[in-house]
Amino acid sequence: MIDILIMVLSTLGAIFILIASIGVFRLPDFYTRLSVTIKAATLGIGCILGAAAIHFSEFSITTKAIAIVFFLFITSPVAAFLIARTAYHTGIKLWDKTVIDELKDKYKEEAEKNKDSDKK
Amino acid sequence: MLKYFLLNILLIFVWVALTGQLNYPNFVFGAVAGFFILWLLTKNSNKSEKEYFYRVPKIILFILYFLYDMLHANFQVAIDVITPNYHTTPGMIKYDIDAKTDFEITMLTNIIALTPGTMVVEIAEDKTHIYIHTMYLKDKEKFISRMKERTEKKLLEILR
Amino acid sequence: MTVETYLIYIVMPIICLSLIFIFLRFLKGPAVVDRVVALDLLITVGVGFIGLFSLIADNPIFLDVAVILALIAFLSTVAFSFYLEKRNKDD
Repeated sequence: MIDILIMVLSTLGAIFILIASIGVFRLPDFYTRLSVTIKAATLGIGCILGAAAIHFSEFSITTKAIAIVFFLFITSPVAAFLIARTAYHTGIKLWDKTVIDELKDKYKEEAEKNKDSDKK
Repeated sequence: MLKYFLLNILLIFVWVALTGQLNYPNFVFGAVAGFFILWLLTKNSNKSEKEYFYRVPKIILFILYFLYDMLHANFQVAIDVITPNYHTTPGMIKYDIDAKTDFEITMLTNIIALTPGTMVVEIAEDKTHIYIHTMYLKDKEKFISRMKERTEKKLLEILR
Repeated sequence: MTVETYLIYIVMPIICLSLIFIFLRFLKGPAVVDRVVALDLLITVGVGFIGLFSLIADNPIFLDVAVILALIAFLSTVAFSFYLEKRNKDD
């Protein structure tokens, strides 16, 4: 019973990681790649560490596995947000088929303001 | 609120120390038993005292709901990645938030970022709106109202 | 079939394949941020690899390495984004 649970969890985790890696390899632009990959990989690692925790079934090791998963769940969105913001600032273009971009207007306004302040 | 939370933790440790088994099922059973005892003890007190007992089931339900949402979105993205053609219609959307404090905004951005397909790219300086990059944009108004109903309202219900 | 053989012959190759895909993106990536994301993902998948290896080797001491690696991945991404943004402002 425990063996089957470990097999299912680890296979599920490996498949999530594989999907994330295929996504990072073949999706068209930076933002879609980022928004797919980091979360799928986080979920996959959660599954694999859960399998490890079930296999050892010891208090200290389960705590360690929960600590790693919790830490990843807290930090990976922050890292994704920071790197996406940096990418937009450094001028990485959105994909051609992007429907709407409302952030562009904001930066135009800011750039105009900066120009005005430079003139003064 | 905080008083009952600390009392519950104390009851967990009392239970674990009395039974002497240091494993997770025992901890969980101690938590459930402590919660039940505290609920029985405060049954006749006024409503503000009982807030803790309404909030804990809500938090558990929210976590389960969030995990379900995350799995569902992951499968949707997985189908898109594996099949040869792209079905994505990405877009960057301005979204007005009701969350006020820094902690609420941080939790909201974390939860938006953890569901695949959506991601927060920028937070305005005056903390009134954020910019969301989403992969499946069919209708802008629909997306915004769905985000408001399904994610933000439930989160703020717990945190406030 | 025991759990160990299943993990060694089926799950481990899947993760190695995904590491190869991520490394290809790391080599290809047109911009610096692409490479940073690929590096972050490489380390994150490495954490899962170590967890799986500790399962196969039946030795929980390897999970300590995974804790440290998870910490370093976050720090490296934050540092990269900080310096890239700073460099952009100086231009």
